Amino acid sequence: MEKKKIGVYVCHCGGNISDYVDVEKVRQAIEDEGGVMLAKTTMFACSDSNQKDMVEDIKNNNLNGIVVASCSPKLHLTTFRNVSERADLNKYNYVHANIREQVSWAHSDDKTGATEKAIHIVKAAIAKARLSESLVPNKIMAEKAVAVIGSGVAGMKAAIALSDKDCPVFLIEREFFIGGRVSQWGAMFTTNETGKEVVTRLYNDLVKRSNVTIFTGAEVVSNVGSIGDFKLKVKITPRYVKEKCDQGKLQLAMDACPVVVPDEFNFNITNRKAIYHNFPSEYPQAAVIDMKNCTRCGKCETLCDNIDFSLKEEILDIQVGSVLMATGFDPYTPHDGEFGYNEIGNVVTLPQFKRIIELNDKDLMFKGTKVKNIAYIYCVGSRQPEGGNTYCSRYCCTSAIHASLLVKKKYPSVYNYHFTRGIRTYGKQESLYYDSSAQGDIYLQAYEDALPEVSWNGKKSIVKINDILTGGREMKVEADLVVLVTGMVPRADNSVGTLFKLPKGRDKFFNEIHMKLRPVETFIDGVTIAGACQGPKNIMESANSALSAATKSYSYVSKGELETEPIVAVVDPVLCTWCGACAKACPFDAISMTKDGTKAIALINNSVCKGCGMCLPVCPKDAIDLIAFSNNEIESMIDALAHD
Amino acid sequence: MANINPKFGEALKEYGGINFNACYNCGNCTAVCSLSTPEDSFPREMVRLSVLGLEDDLKSSLKPWLCYYCGECTTHCPQTANPGELMMSLRRWLTAKYDWTGLSGLLYKSLPLSIIAFVLTAFGVIAFAFYESFNLETIIHFGHYFEMIAIGAVFTFILLPNIIRMWWFVILKPKIQVSFSTYVKSIGELIVHMFTQKRSLGCDDNQVRWFEHLILVLGYLALLFTTVFLDWFSSQNLFIIILGYVESVVVFVVTFDFMSSRIKKKKEINKFSQPSDWFFVIWLFLMGLTAFIVRVFIDLNILETNSWIYLLHLTVLVQWAIIIVPFGKWTHFLYRSFAMYFAKVQELSAQLKK
Repeated sequence: MEKKKIGVYVCHCGGNISDYVDVEKVRQAIEDEGGVMLAKTTMFACSDSNQKDMVEDIKNNNLNGIVVASCSPKLHLTTFRNVSERADLNKYNYVHANIREQVSWAHSDDKTGATEKAIHIVKAAIAKARLSESLVPNKIMAEKAVAVIGSGVAGMKAAIALSDKDCPVFLIEREFFIGGRVSQWGAMFTTNETGKEVVTRLYNDLVKRSNVTIFTGAEVVSNVGSIGDFKLKVKITPRYVKEKCDQGKLQLAMDACPVVVPDEFNFNITNRKAIYHNFPSEYPQAAVIDMKNCTRCGKCETLCDNIDFSLKEEILDIQVGSVLMATGFDPYTPHDGEFGYNEIGNVVTLPQFKRIIELNDKDLMFKGTKVKNIAYIYCVGSRQPEGGNTYCSRYCCTSAIHASLLVKKKYPSVYNYHFTRGIRTYGKQESLYYDSSAQGDIYLQAYEDALPEVSWNGKKSIVKINDILTGGREMKVEADLVVLVTGMVPRADNSVGTLFKLPKGRDKFFNEIHMKLRPVETFIDGVTIAGACQGPKNIMESANSALSAATKSYSYVSKGELETEPIVAVVDPVLCTWCGACAKACPFDAISMTKDGTKAIALINNSVCKGCGMCLPVCPKDAIDLIAFSNNEIESMIDALAHD
Repeated sequence: MANINPKFGEALKEYGGINFNACYNCGNCTAVCSLSTPEDSFPREMVRLSVLGLEDDLKSSLKPWLCYYCGECTTHCPQTANPGELMMSLRRWLTAKYDWTGLSGLLYKSLPLSIIAFVLTAFGVIAFAFYESFNLETIIHFGHYFEMIAIGAVFTFILLPNIIRMWWFVILKPKIQVSFSTYVKSIGELIVHMFTQKRSLGCDDNQVRWFEHLILVLGYLALLFTTVFLDWFSSQNLFIIILGYVESVVVFVVTFDFMSSRIKKKKEINKFSQPSDWFFVIWLFLMGLTAFIVRVFIDLNILETNSWIYLLHLTVLVQWAIIIVPFGKWTHFLYRSFAMYFAKVQELSAQLKK
């Protein structure tokens, strides 16, 4: 190792440091430390003029180690690393000493002691600088392909965006039909397009693209690898019905099927057979046999020769550089008795109500009764007290109001009563709230501590509220239908997230790194999130996040190569005896077992390791070290700090 | 517990309520209203009760009469829910509710019915004239007596029972304990508001309208007195003749200004006019104008040859007296002042209770 020539700069920070720390005394105390070639004080180390002087100093004196004693590294570590690079010195030779937050501000009552502490901290930094090494980023290959998991609006939008960038896409859908939740909606705010129209447009766009492969009935069952090189196994469940099929015969087969089960597509308000379509033009346009419920009676087989029970499950191997999660949400299911749900016959959820409007024709009927008065109870499953779902689901106010406009338009004699906790029809959606009020809908409001009550009088549901808009007076409505305006919750089966070890927030949705600045990235490198799997979103918001996530995922794979931080753990193959303690301690799954000849040792995956250091203290053989924070470096710093 | 009744809102629209359902309860209307007080807070409360259709609460409320329609609330409503016009339509609705005959409601709600009533009365007058062979002297004589009888009958059989009904709605039915002395003590309030509309001076920038209204009321009442009791059309007394002229001029000039404001629609109060509003100003205008012309014709001694003008005047007068006064907008003159009186009664009783 060449001899270290270190430059040390002690900053006044205006008076922030020098008012309490004798900066000149610090400089004098360290100027004769081993390796220190020059030691200076400066009024503002971060000022342009000082930065220029530093660059000159480094170049003129061939410095190969730099210490700046100033503020927190959070503020200016990058600044001074950049100074090193401008002077053609590898940035990992820069060491930051914090003598403001840790010294002058903390010890403003003891100037002598503060100066003493500052000297120790600077000496420790110098000790680290003496051992510093030039490091280069790790480079890993990145497969130029992205797997998009979930083919709702977010997934499809993301797939189209990636395809536009010439990036091969695997669109993986667990259900047998694409479109996700949106395909279940009729007319939607604010454009009044139906869910089917939106899905049709996206699907027609997708199928034209040769670089998009769509899998339905497909589930990711395992994942090996990491950013740049995810190796996925995808299980494909067959439909048991051939895609090109005589519709007449198929219909006969459907009619003949003796199995009747609740239709999830209509949120269980109707039934379907074990062999079924979702609606006449779902995508792909092919029926499917639901093997969970099929009794294998074989009646359909005798009627339709396109049914083939011999088809087998397949496992496909897919290799991609990035994974984009767009697995969507589930509507909140009220528990039994919540506002009469499952106990009073005419209490339904908003998604069910939307299907009811869609499925009814001339008269609005529910369970044989004509519906005239509809009570909507808002914030069911959202904005609950601590312990429940405390978040706002964002879409539901607008969706309920839009549904009330639709139902009034289709059935003008209907009356709508909205039992709210304050209306949040933000943005352009506010005009729907106006339209609904103006058409004569009645809005009542309660606080969370006195929610409306639903009871049954033998004929109708009685909804009571202490209306805060009428001075807290008790009001009631006799309703033919009570609609619980339910929010969004994470998918009940989110196992695919567990497969990638995606962190979840307190709301149990997948979590981004930073709400504002890194909104679609996750702590798992290479995995991005889009749409309602991240938290409640309406379709516009889902589409926006899908486009962001597509761009981010593409940025991981676009160059075919990725750079990662060189600060990672390294294993000494001689000392390591593979006890597995490090692998257990690693929060990122970066450590696995490998063979060094015949000996089992730990292997660090450089593209996944974050350099957090959790594996170091658990190693009984001291066989792991952390680059740039090696035992040598840290011990030398401790020596400097402990030395009088 | 109150039952919500959205059908009431639909009914109120027939009385001129416009878009009040759009209210989102911000309360700006109440905040800008210069007459609303913490004790008597409106119009938001009235809008809310109307939206919910709480008819009993509205029927016992005097608040619609406490508003003089400056229109500030409507100007500042972010939802264009027209609280000012809602208060106006509530006054029409209350008038219909106070009227025991139910005719007020029918006439407010149906323009064809109103027109039929006007046409029938006109036919009646002409038929009477025909019966009297268009003898002008007899007809004028009859006209004079008609006025006296009509005033007495309308007051006794329509207006007095209606005031009693109002009393029932606002004092008796809500079981407000009122002592006799309270009724006596409050009587001043009735007189002041009936003749001066003092409260409407509390509206911002309302001095001109208040003054116009004041001289119209005084001019109208004086003209009534002059024609009925001083027998203006037959009088030879120069003072009475000039007095009548001045009064009739006041009536038709002020009502002409009111009509033109309703056409120009510059102020909130003039933007929405129901047929009942038009009938009121037009007939008052016609009454003043025809009375003026009749007297001019008398003074020029050409009435004999132009008896049609008196017939026209008589027709207007009859329609006024048996349609507009008992069942039309005229009643606001009574109900407003009585509302102020009952409000005072309620206030004093509440104080006594404390």
